[in-house]
Amino acid sequence: MSPPRLTILISILATVVRSADGGTGNTPIPVSVVAEMIDNAEQGDAILVPAGIYEGNLIIRKPIVLDGSAGAIFDGLGEGTVIEVLAEQVTIRGCVIRATDEDVTGEPAAIRVIAADATIESNTIDDALFGIDLREAPNAVIRNNTIACKNLEPGRRGDGIRLWWSHGCTVEGNTVRGSRDMVFWYSEDLRIDRNTVTDSRYGLHFMYSHDTVIEENDLRSNSVGIYLMYSNRITLRGNRLTNNRGASGYGVGLKDCDDIIIAGNELLANRVGVYLDNSPSSVDSTGLFESNMVAFNEVGLLATPNTHGNVFTGNAFVENEEPAATHGRGRLVSNDFARDGVGNYWSDYAGFDLDGDGIGDVAYEPRSLFGAMLANEPNLRLFVHSPAQQAIEFTARALPELRPESTLIDPSPLASPPRINSAIAGGGIGGARMAVLAATLLSIAVACIAALGFERGLPAPQTGVRS
Amino acid sequence: MIANSAAHFSATRQTPAAPTLIGGVARFARREFRDAIASKWFALYTFAFTVLAVGVSYLSLSGIGSHGFAGFGRTAAGLLNLVMLVVPLMALTAGAGSVAGERERGTLLYLLAQPVSRTQVLLGKHLGLAAAIICSLCVGFGISGGVLAWRTGGVGVGAYTMLVGFTVLLALAMLSIGVLISVCSRRTAVAMGIALFTWLAFVFISDLGLMASSILFKLRVQEIFGLAIINPLQSFKMAVIVNMNASLDVLGPVGAYASRTLGGALPWMLVSSLIAWTALPLGLAVLLFSRRGSV
Amino acid sequence: MIHAKGITKRFGRVQAVSDVSFELDAGASIALWGSNGAGKTTLIRCLLGVIRFKGNASVGGVDVRRRGRHARALVGYVPQELAFHDDARLGSAIVFFARLRRISRARAAESLAEVGLIGHERKRVRDLSGGMKQRLALAVALLSDPPLIILDEPTSNLDAAGRGEVVETLQRLRRAGKTLLFASHRPDEIISLADRVLVMERGRVVQDTTPVELWPTEKPVQVIRLYLTMACEADAADVLREAGHAVHLNGRGLCVAVPRDRKAEPIAALARKQIEVRDIEVLDDVQIQESSQ
Repeated sequence: MSPPRLTILISILATVVRSADGGTGNTPIPVSVVAEMIDNAEQGDAILVPAGIYEGNLIIRKPIVLDGSAGAIFDGLGEGTVIEVLAEQVTIRGCVIRATDEDVTGEPAAIRVIAADATIESNTIDDALFGIDLREAPNAVIRNNTIACKNLEPGRRGDGIRLWWSHGCTVEGNTVRGSRDMVFWYSEDLRIDRNTVTDSRYGLHFMYSHDTVIEENDLRSNSVGIYLMYSNRITLRGNRLTNNRGASGYGVGLKDCDDIIIAGNELLANRVGVYLDNSPSSVDSTGLFESNMVAFNEVGLLATPNTHGNVFTGNAFVENEEPAATHGRGRLVSNDFARDGVGNYWSDYAGFDLDGDGIGDVAYEPRSLFGAMLANEPNLRLFVHSPAQQAIEFTARALPELRPESTLIDPSPLASPPRINSAIAGGGIGGARMAVLAATLLSIAVACIAALGFERGLPAPQTGVRS
Repeated sequence: MIANSAAHFSATRQTPAAPTLIGGVARFARREFRDAIASKWFALYTFAFTVLAVGVSYLSLSGIGSHGFAGFGRTAAGLLNLVMLVVPLMALTAGAGSVAGERERGTLLYLLAQPVSRTQVLLGKHLGLAAAIICSLCVGFGISGGVLAWRTGGVGVGAYTMLVGFTVLLALAMLSIGVLISVCSRRTAVAMGIALFTWLAFVFISDLGLMASSILFKLRVQEIFGLAIINPLQSFKMAVIVNMNASLDVLGPVGAYASRTLGGALPWMLVSSLIAWTALPLGLAVLLFSRRGSV
Repeated sequence: MIHAKGITKRFGRVQAVSDVSFELDAGASIALWGSNGAGKTTLIRCLLGVIRFKGNASVGGVDVRRRGRHARALVGYVPQELAFHDDARLGSAIVFFARLRRISRARAAESLAEVGLIGHERKRVRDLSGGMKQRLALAVALLSDPPLIILDEPTSNLDAAGRGEVVETLQRLRRAGKTLLFASHRPDEIISLADRVLVMERGRVVQDTTPVELWPTEKPVQVIRLYLTMACEADAADVLREAGHAVHLNGRGLCVAVPRDRKAEPIAALARKQIEVRDIEVLDDVQIQESSQ
C-alpha cells in the first residue's frame, strides 16, 4: 500500500463523515460507512477510521488494517457482536469498541475472529459480554487491549478473552476487569505474558491447552488466579497471584495436568496458594515447583488425597495459616519436598541450623492437630484464628499421643527464605497511609489523655469573704 | 438569733443544685479515666498489648525480606488472636474492679452520698474505663501500625482501621459484662474471680464446647453458626474477617453458609451482636445497681 | 428541713431501722444517740437516699426516694471516716467534688482554706491524718454551702484535739444557721451541739428528748462504763432508766452518764436489785462547752 492512496482515501472519507454528522463530531454514524470504506479498500490497506461513533455491527471479510486511533468508536448498541473478522490477516488497532448484546445466546463479543493471523492490539473494549473471542483463529496476536465486561452478576458474565481451537497465539499486555475468565480451549503453543486480570472468575483458565508459557502476568482479586485443567507441559514463571479468594480461591489450581513447571511466581494472600487436584495424573510425569513465594494464604498448598509425583524445591512458604493440607484424609508424603538436598523455606519451621549450611538440621514435619481435625470436620474451620484453636495445638504439643501424622516431610528445610524476585512490583503505595493511621491512633490516645487525664489545679485561695 | 441567721441563710443563698445528668456522668467518667490511666493495671495491659501487637506485626512480616508485600491478612490473623485473648481479659477485669473495688474500700458510699444518681455513677465509670481502654488500644495499635508502615507497603489501611474499630466494640462489650459482674459482687476478689471465669468461658470453653458438640451431635451449619454468634468473641472475629474478605468463606462451610444466606446483612448482624453485648449487660447493671437495697 | 415517716430498713432478717418518724426544722440540730448497731448509720443512709428503704423521707421538701439526686444536693455529708481514692491528691479530690456540685475551683480553694487545709493540696489522701481527712470531708460537705449537714459519728476516729476542732467547726455552722443531724455516742458532743436527741436502740427511736433532759447540765457530767454479765444487761438498763439515768448499751458494757460527783449512784442502784457489776471504767471527762444555747 502506498502512502498517497491512503491520503486520498482519508480525504474522501473525511468528506463523507462531515456530511453525515453535520460537522459536530458527536452525531452517530452508521457503521455501514466503515463497511463501505473496507469495500473500497484494497487487500492489506490500512484504514484510518476518522473520529466518530459508528453504530451497528461490522463484518470484515478482507485482510485490512482497521485503525481507530484517530478516535473511532464502534458501538454495537447492545445488539450482537460488534466487529466480526472472517478474513485472515486482519489487524484491528486503537479502536474503542462497546455495547455488545447482553443475552448470552450467540455469545456476542466486542471482537470475534474466525480466521488465522489476526492482530488485535491497543483497543479499548467496554460494556462487552465477551471481549475478544477467537474461534479457530491460529497464530493471532492479542496485545495491549483493555477490556471491561458488562456489569452483570458473575454467573451471567462472558469471558474477557477466549481462544477456541486457536494454536500458536500470543496474548500479552492485556488488561481485563470484571469478566468471567480469560480462557483457552484446545489451544496449544501459546504465549501468555504480562496480562493483568482483576475482579474476574478465573484470571487465566486453560482447558485441554498444552505446551504453553505463561509469564509475568498479574492476577488479582479473582476467584482463582490461574486454573489449568487437563493441560500438559505448561510453564508458569514470574507471575504474581494475589488476593484470589473467591469460592475456590486458588492462586494456581491444577486439575489433571502433567509436566507443569511453576517457578519464580508469587502467590500471596489467596485463600489457597497452590491447589493440586490429581496432578500430575499420568505415571512418570511430574510437577515442578521451584523458587515460588507462597505467603499469607489461608492454605499454602492444598492437594487432593493421594497426590504424588510433585517436586518442591527452593520455595518459600511464609506465614500461611496452614502451610500444607489435603482435602479430606491423606498425606502429601508421596511428593518430594527437596531436590538435591535443597528443600523449602517454611516460616513455621521450629528447627535449627547449627552447622550453618543454610539447611535445617532436622526435617520439617508439620503436625497440626487442628489441621487434622479440619480434614475430618470441615465445619470446625469456623474456629480458625481463635484462641481455642491455639489451645488445641498447645494441647497436642503437650500430649504427643494426640499429635497426628505429619502432612508432609521436607528433609532439608531452608534456614532462611530464598530471595525471589518477581518482575512485577507491588506494595509500597500504602506505607504513608499506614503511617498516617498509626500516627492518628497515637494522637487519639495522647489527645484523650491530655483532655481528660489532667484536672486543672486549685487557684490560689482568695482572701476575704466570698460575696 | 438562730432563727435570724437561718432566715438570712435561706434568703441570700440560692439552693445548691445537683449536677445535670450528663454533667455528673462526665465528672465520674473523667475521674475514672484519670484513675485508670494512673493505675498499674492500665500501664501493664497497655505495655503487654503494645509489645504483643508489635511482636505479632513484626513476626508476621519476617521472612518476606524485601518483598514489599504487606500480608495484612496474616498480620490480622495474628492480631485477631492476640486481641481475642488480651482485650477481653483487660476489659472484663477493669469492669469487674470498678464498682466492687469502690464498695470494698468504702468509697462507694461517699460517692453515692453526693448529689448524683447511681445510674450516673455507673455510666460514668463505664465511660471513663472505656475511654481508658480505647486509649490503651490506640497506643498498641498505633505503635504496631507504625511497625507495619515502616516494614511494609502497609496495604490494608482500611482493614486495619476496621480491626481497631471492632476491637473497640469488643472491649466495650467486655467492659459492660465486667461492670455487670462488679455490680453483683460484694468483694473485689469475687468479682475478679467471676471475671476470669467469664474470660475463660468466652475465650476457650464456649468454642471448645461448641467444637465438641458440633462433632458429637452432628450439628448442622446453621445451628453451629447460630450458637457461635452468641459468643461476642466469635461475632468480633467474624466481623473482622467479613470486613477483610467481604465473605466468610475462609471459615469453611459454616462461614460460607452465613455469607450466602445473610449476604449484606451479615456484617450488620455481627456488629449488632457486639452492640447488644455492650448495651444489654450495661443496662442490666444499671438496673441492678439502682435497685440494690444496700450500698 | 427533714421530714421522716415510718422509715424501715431490713438487711435480710435483721431489722436495722424500724418505723422511725421525726421532723426536723430548719436551723435546728438533732443528735442520734445509741450504741453501735442501734441503727444510727442505717438511718442516716436512708435519709441520704443511698440505700432503699420503706417509708417516706424528704429533705427540704424533696423526696429522697424519688429525687435523691436533688435531695442530696441540699445535704453536706460527713462520714465516720472519709473514704476516697487513697492515691488521689487532696487538691484533685476537692476539685472533683466541687465540679460534681458545679462549684468553681475558686470556691473549692476557699473551702479548703476554711478548714485550714491550704498548703496540703499535693498530699495524697492516704497520707492524711484522721483529723485532716475529717477536715477534708467537712470542706467537701460545705462546698456548696448546703442548708443541711448530716454527720455520721464524725469524731469517732479522732483524738481529743481533732474532736475539738470538728466540734468547734460544727458550732460555727450552727451559729450560721445550718441544720445539723449527727450521730454520736459522745454525750459531750451532743450536749454542746444538739438541741434535740433521738435515742436509738435496736433500730427504734426509744426516746425523743433534749440533751438537757438526758443529762442534767448544771453539773459536769461524766460517762462511766459498767461491765456486767451479758444476761442482765437489759435488765440493768431498765433499772437505771427508772432511776433517772441516761443509759445506752454499747455492746461493750453499759454506758451511763452521771453527774461528776455521783458516780457510785448507778452501782448502788444495781446492787439494790442484786445486779452485780464486775468492773467500771470512767470515760473521758465531758467538757461542757459554752454553746449558743
